[in-house]
Amino acid sequence: MRATCFTILFLMMLPVAISAQSRPVEAVEVTAPGNRQLRLAIEIPRSTDGTPNNPAAKEMGDVIAFDMNMSGVMAAEPREPFPAPGSGSLSGTNYLPWMSAGFDLLVRGEFSITGDDLTVEFRLFDVINRKMMTAKRYLGKTKDLRYFSHAFADEILLVVTGEKGCFTTHIAYVSSQSGNKEIVIMSWDGSSQLQLTRNGSINLNPDFSPDGREILFTSYKRRNPDLYKRALSSTAEVPVSTRKGLNITGTWSPDGSRIALALSKDGNSEIYTLAKDGSSPIRLTVNNAIEVSPVWSPDGSRIAFVSDRLGKPQIFTMNADGSNVRRLTTAGAYNVNPRWSPKGDKIAYARMQGSGFQIYTINTDGSGDSPLTSVGSSENPAWSPDGRFISFSSKRGGVEAIYVMRSDGSGQTRVSQGKGKATQPAWSSR
Amino acid sequence: MKKNRVGLVLFVSCFMFVVGGCASNEIVKKDEPITPATKTTAQAKVEPGKMIKPSEQPGKPAPIKQSTVDSSVPSQNADKFNVALARIYFDFDSYNLSPEARSALQKNMEIIENSSATVVRIEGNCDERGSAEYNLALGEKRAKAAMQYLVTLGIPEKRLSVISYGKERPAVQGNDESAWSKNRRDEFVIQK
Repeated sequence: MRATCFTILFLMMLPVAISAQSRPVEAVEVTAPGNRQLRLAIEIPRSTDGTPNNPAAKEMGDVIAFDMNMSGVMAAEPREPFPAPGSGSLSGTNYLPWMSAGFDLLVRGEFSITGDDLTVEFRLFDVINRKMMTAKRYLGKTKDLRYFSHAFADEILLVVTGEKGCFTTHIAYVSSQSGNKEIVIMSWDGSSQLQLTRNGSINLNPDFSPDGREILFTSYKRRNPDLYKRALSSTAEVPVSTRKGLNITGTWSPDGSRIALALSKDGNSEIYTLAKDGSSPIRLTVNNAIEVSPVWSPDGSRIAFVSDRLGKPQIFTMNADGSNVRRLTTAGAYNVNPRWSPKGDKIAYARMQGSGFQIYTINTDGSGDSPLTSVGSSENPAWSPDGRFISFSSKRGGVEAIYVMRSDGSGQTRVSQGKGKATQPAWSSR
Repeated sequence: MKKNRVGLVLFVSCFMFVVGGCASNEIVKKDEPITPATKTTAQAKVEPGKMIKPSEQPGKPAPIKQSTVDSSVPSQNADKFNVALARIYFDFDSYNLSPEARSALQKNMEIIENSSATVVRIEGNCDERGSAEYNLALGEKRAKAAMQYLVTLGIPEKRLSVISYGKERPAVQGNDESAWSKNRRDEFVIQK
């Protein structure tokens, strides 16, 4: 059943673009006067059968508003439609009341639900210049309602900034909700939670494959910390590395051809790369110290990792063949959890401060080392695939939960729901 | 190679007999079987000589932070034994064996030695501070430190296995030093 859900989710029908306005998609420069933040009104979508107060309509408006507010690009709010003289259909838009209410942009939508089938059409309007900027039509099932709304939020960001959003992506994390540490997947906004593993053991450090179809993770299910992978469409947990000792902190190379991880088969934990099936290990570090948490640069040429070779754990970088090792972090006594930004310019990490951690970013040349969080204890940063956001786990609310913030540290928002501790987020590709 | 290892163990055992209480954590730490076989051989030649140097063994005890041993906590399946295998405890971010931990390991060794049918799994654990990933590696170092010490005392390596649980299996809940100090531990679990 779960497998079916995910297969459907990932083989989702492609959105059908309306070709009436067959302009190529390009960035439209939209700026509000006086450096004011753009204001987006999301008119609660209209049901074509005329049913008022449909909860589905409100949910769509809320999803788009959440995404756009989190983006930091505009301030969005769902609004009831203004009373329209005609049918209120999408073809005739009365810009004047929206302009008077101070909005720059407007989303309007129309949907119909027949049994389990859902059809949605969204349009984005430039209120000031009185023109439509983009339109999309989505055909699917009622359970795809949030997905379609996220997809249109991606589209809004693309039209306004020239860069598509990551609002249809997922976050995998470790949850203790079931009583054991299992891998759970949710939409980036915390909805649609789905428990992936159910082996009752300790499962750790999920990492999405570059194509988003598989998760790499460490599990104690066979009484040793071994590395497994699992397709999201399957329940099979395939052993990747079951070597003696630690098989931990596995991450996929950007092209998906290799896996970097820490193995202790030769005495103490060292960084290795493996073929994606777990064969042909190449050892990259030779050291009596602890080495863990290798992560790839987006071009696959470098690997950042944690080593305590100088006494305490610090972040180092090296070429993907193990050469040219450089110490990256020089401040702070205990720095861990490196994650390379998708654009390649920064590395996010967690620094121990007091009895907890805070998230920092540092440029890959060691400059610009600066904190993004200061509340509670926050660790395990994970970049969104577009680099706009960083997810992390934090104990600030009492029980550890998954949060998302913009990559400058603003907009810190809890996204994971439910009970139990939620830790070690990993963000899917787009 | 195996002969070399046995030789090394014998040599280190004799040496410890002579040096006695002065033997610091350096012994256990340095002669871990680290990676390539050739290196172990090299260490067998270098390390013992190195340890005798007075300059490296100052009169005061080696700079290891002290820790305690709680032998009152029985391990699972310990009823097979007259005396339970004691847990040993560590300092923060350390896998050095304190004198108390060494005494406990000595007693554990005697128990293990007198029950020839057993394999003992050494489980390394950490407190909740520190990153989960780093602690997995640290826990393994703690387990291996104890294993190496037991091997040095004469337990065949094949009767010992190690696993690290990092900070995933705390013995005590809590976020203060009294809980942390009980969680930074090795447990000894009878396998068969």
